[in-house]
Amino acid sequence: MKVIAVIPAYHEAGRIEETVRSVLPFVDGAVVVDDGSGDSTALNAAAGGATVVRHRVNRGQGAALRTGTEGALRMGADVIVHIDADGQHDPMSIPNLIAPLSTGECDVVFGSRFLGKEAIGMPTSRRVLLSAARTFNAFAVGVPRRVTDPQSGYRAMTAPAARAIDFRHDRMAHCSEILRLVTRSGLRWREVPVCVHYSSESLRKGQKPWDAARIAWQLLLGAFTN
Amino acid sequence: MLIQYILILAMALAFVTTWRRAMQNVIRVSEAIGWSLIWIAASVVILQPEVATRLANLFGVGRGVDLVVYASVAGLFLLVFKLFILHESLERKLTDLVRRDALRDVKPPHE
Repeated sequence: MKVIAVIPAYHEAGRIEETVRSVLPFVDGAVVVDDGSGDSTALNAAAGGATVVRHRVNRGQGAALRTGTEGALRMGADVIVHIDADGQHDPMSIPNLIAPLSTGECDVVFGSRFLGKEAIGMPTSRRVLLSAARTFNAFAVGVPRRVTDPQSGYRAMTAPAARAIDFRHDRMAHCSEILRLVTRSGLRWREVPVCVHYSSESLRKGQKPWDAARIAWQLLLGAFTN
Repeated sequence: MLIQYILILAMALAFVTTWRRAMQNVIRVSEAIGWSLIWIAASVVILQPEVATRLANLFGVGRGVDLVVYASVAGLFLLVFKLFILHESLERKLTDLVRRDALRDVKPPHE
């Protein structure tokens, strides 16, 4: 079973090499999608041992994830793991993510920050926002309430599932979109606990409370766009 | 009143331009009919403002001019929303192009 990690990266020159090196022991290969960075993200990712594909212009995390997923499929991946470039996602959780896929129990596995493993350094404001996002996802997007983490970007899927999930949101709304597509399809899915480390750097670059409104707007527009 | 003459002239110009574009196959005939109805309705309201007031009373709005303003705001909102959707659609096409370019050199393992 060939496992390939997909890592979207934008202006991550300072961290991407370390992230790639920490992920590679748990997978058979890593695809870093340099999303139009103006720094040496692509070079550093290649130095870490990743296959690098490059967006000539910045298209957003969702777009980069899809590019990486398609790249991984072309490289013959049986299982694809989506993981952030900023080192927030602990690669030690990868075996937990892919275990239900390798036994054939599931097609898609979502990492959750709310299933027992305490996220390290998560601010209270983020916790409150995610709780609100969970309710929003349930009522406005149609994601089942039993999904505990509405915005986890840490997930794994089999190759057939990756081909079936036609996510089109280029920017931040892709998390909710993927959850909706998977939970409304015939794909078998599950959440597993994952460990996430927040640092001041990752919080500075990560989503802000007002991004919630932007995500809601993107989802609304997406509902009317072909 | 002078404003009525100016507005009627504008509506006539819009009407003529609409049908010229339809003849040039720039817009469909069905679109031209739709736009023509809008110009005719606007002309009626310009020449007979009490028509708008009667219509406004039907909706529970006091003055005809208020109804025109409310309808305009709603119309503009729809127009802006449509532009947003068009923009999103173009963004997706751009992403598809960028993706195709990015994956150009990614080959299956046996190649």
